[in-house]
Amino acid sequence: MAFIRRDWDPVHADEWTKEDWIAIVLSPLAYIFLSIGTGLSILLLPIGFITFSIGIVLTILMHYVIDPKLKMISSEYEKRQREYLEELERKVRWEKKNG
Amino acid sequence: MVTFEFLDWLWIVLFVLVMVGSGILFYRLGKRSESDFFLAGRGLPWWLPASSVYATHTATDTPMWVTGVIYRYGFAGIWYTFFSAWCAISAFVSTRIFRRSLAYTQAEWNTLRFGGLGAEMLRGWISGWQVFMNMFILGWVGMAMGKVCNYIFGWDLWVGLILFSSVCAIYVLAAGYWGVIMADFQQGIIAFAVIIIVSGWGIAAAGGPGEIVSKLGDMGLSEKLNPFAFSGWFTGDFPIAWFITMMFIAILGGFGMGTSIDWYAEAQRIQSAKTVRDASYSIWWGTALVLIRNSVWAIAVLAFFVLFPNISNASEYELGWFRLGFDYLPAGMVGFFFAAIIAIHISTISTHLNLGAMYFTHDLYLHYFKPKATEKELVWVGRVATFVLLIGSFFYGLMMEEITSWLIFALWLMAAGIWLPNILQVVWWRFNAWGYLSSWIANLGLSWLVVWILPHFGIIPSLPDYQQFWLLMLLGALIYLPVTFFTKPEDMNHLVKYYVMSRPIGWWKPVRKEAERLGLLHELEKISLKGV
Repeated sequence: MAFIRRDWDPVHADEWTKEDWIAIVLSPLAYIFLSIGTGLSILLLPIGFITFSIGIVLTILMHYVIDPKLKMISSEYEKRQREYLEELERKVRWEKKNG
Repeated sequence: MVTFEFLDWLWIVLFVLVMVGSGILFYRLGKRSESDFFLAGRGLPWWLPASSVYATHTATDTPMWVTGVIYRYGFAGIWYTFFSAWCAISAFVSTRIFRRSLAYTQAEWNTLRFGGLGAEMLRGWISGWQVFMNMFILGWVGMAMGKVCNYIFGWDLWVGLILFSSVCAIYVLAAGYWGVIMADFQQGIIAFAVIIIVSGWGIAAAGGPGEIVSKLGDMGLSEKLNPFAFSGWFTGDFPIAWFITMMFIAILGGFGMGTSIDWYAEAQRIQSAKTVRDASYSIWWGTALVLIRNSVWAIAVLAFFVLFPNISNASEYELGWFRLGFDYLPAGMVGFFFAAIIAIHISTISTHLNLGAMYFTHDLYLHYFKPKATEKELVWVGRVATFVLLIGSFFYGLMMEEITSWLIFALWLMAAGIWLPNILQVVWWRFNAWGYLSSWIANLGLSWLVVWILPHFGIIPSLPDYQQFWLLMLLGALIYLPVTFFTKPEDMNHLVKYYVMSRPIGWWKPVRKEAERLGLLHELEKISLKGV
């Protein structure tokens, strides 16, 4: 099995897995590199272009890791959300919310 | 004063007509239901709320503030603008959890996460505070527009404040969030384009990128190009300890809800996205644009610094980016620049008008006063609330000069000591409504003590803001943790319901076990698998 899972089923996509943690680490790093890289690239400094490129690579990597999982969560959860709520309501006798 | 030609006025009139017209076009969609008036029916693709995140966080006072820190600290001042990086983690954690809860507002989420009297008290407090905060922000941002109009046209401050907020209110009253989001989309594009044009023009006026680098070198100020030019570990006005605190607050804040004042506006965008994935990307990309924009601004401000290096008056150099536009753009383009300033301004105004009205309508009117209100009635209550917020913001704006320091303190008061509780409520099952409520109350008293009273009597020294943050966090924990442990946990059935709906991250093992024991997770898995 590959280190990065890209083929998800609805049950496992609902869990917090290493793919989430990889995105959680990559995401702020991408922001930091994109922020610094943009400014220094406008000044035409070589370090700016390098930093900006790293920011883009991190952004692509982050999407590569997390996108399949987000797609699965969305397609299943959003489709079934009302059904989930009705089922849960019946099982634990939740109070009706206003509105 | 800036002189406008016919072409300049033409840009402005055309832009205002297009903007108000496009908002009103969505009148029919906005009036269909409460969900449409406040969340655009929860059906938006990611790029629409993303453009709204970007447009909303590009306010009239933002370039002044960014200019102030960059002019003072050089490119390293960019870290002052990095507070929005909480979205880096939030996009994949709290955004996902909040979107799955289906709560309209953060106040409603409190009653899903917590139960009983404590949850109701929290909902009342958060919603009332949000109505106040949105009115305050409207006054604050409106007054910034008053100052810009005073600089450009010599108008009295109240003219710019009232005129443009009122123009904006036309489409917010008509179409609600549909009008906000559609106008934000076009305003975001115009604002981004003009920020690039004006900044590019300013950089060219300073002789281009190479000239800026070499002139800073000639002045002996090359460190202004260094993003990590700090004044020491703990010494000076820009220490590394401040930077570490800032990154800690900004980045780890994404695990919580409400760790940034911007969360409340983003929460509306999260719930208006059509799926969890759309919500995540709207927050991530909207904020990425904000951070990239800040960097573009930063270099334009360095260009301004090279052109005018010896301004010591903060209120003068804070207008630096505006000066690049009005002083250096050719005739005919100045009006386009002002039209973009209008876009920047009203995208923020529209958001806070609709957001404040949502808290009033959904959390106060519907929840506490009239639970059986019809959809039509709720839309009308939303409109009345919008109008009241607009009028209230005028009074706030006009009082602003006298109360600014108090209100900044109030904002600080609301942030430091509840940063960690805002995370704990998401990641720790045992944290209960009383613990969270006590953290708000404790922070109210502790922040007065730490910021003003104890230093005044010489009991502790006057601390820099980053040290105040750590102290308030520690002192607050000494109160809300005992309160949490000495009061009962939330009802397990309530927690199970929340857990299965939202699937939160963190320490939820007892709740998960109970959900499994009840067969809820198993049942849900079967439901999910039926759909494959």
